[in-house]
Amino acid sequence: MREVAIIDNVKIAVIDEDVVVRDFVVSTLMYSVNRNVLTFDNGFDAWIYFEESGFPDMVVADINLREIDGLTLTSKIKQIQPKTIVALFSDAPHNENAAREHGADVFMAKPFGVNELFNLVQTFVVEPEPAEDDSSES
Amino acid sequence: MLRFGTKPEFMREMELDDIFLSRLQLLVIMAKAYLNQYPLGEFRQRSILENAALVQIDSEGLAEEAVAWEKDKTDLGSMDFEPVFYHRVKLLTVMAEAFAKGHTLEDHKREALEQNLESICEAITFRKKLSEMQFLKVA
Repeated sequence: MREVAIIDNVKIAVIDEDVVVRDFVVSTLMYSVNRNVLTFDNGFDAWIYFEESGFPDMVVADINLREIDGLTLTSKIKQIQPKTIVALFSDAPHNENAAREHGADVFMAKPFGVNELFNLVQTFVVEPEPAEDDSSES
Repeated sequence: MLRFGTKPEFMREMELDDIFLSRLQLLVIMAKAYLNQYPLGEFRQRSILENAALVQIDSEGLAEEAVAWEKDKTDLGSMDFEPVFYHRVKLLTVMAEAFAKGHTLEDHKREALEQNLESICEAITFRKKLSEMQFLKVA
């Protein structure tokens, strides 16, 4: 059986002003990757931190954020660091198209649970398995 | 762009009940991972302790509401579990704290943890016991 590897020292940031939802997302992601997870309660503080300390591998954010909303934050991140994965969540269906237009990689429709967050990690944080080496079998 | 979560017609704000059930589901996964001897790192340990503490606080409050509901038969909405369910959840949080702190669970405690998980999973999945679902006995 192959060893599963996650991105080395993966850096994840969670941004949401609702502390109950934010802490649940942080607990699940921290458990999944066994790394510390950065937390912010508004888009402005997150943006300042990213500019000063570097961009994370993944940003998981609510669309409704104070000062810099999730959509604007996504555009700004993608402009400077397109490799950063951005997952936006919302309880409003019309935000799905807006998230796509602003360059988000994932739209998470509320309410979501553990499985959706595990899917996020499985899709973007677990490093892809190396391709089968056919030559060794001949 | 990938899409995860609820269908558009069912999208809504996440309520405290959603968070309680999601955190409980996470705690069940944490316990099952422990029983399967998955590795436990520093941040996993911290996450288990924080999750167990929050689930414990919520389950104590909900247990009191469930007792009041049994007396008054007032409608408490979707969280209509019996009081014993919340006691089982509290027991799970205590067990989770123990294994997160590195205490070894002896065989009989592991067995008790497995039984507790089974009961909690059944309660979350069915509001009635599986044996009460008569129609499942006929194919």
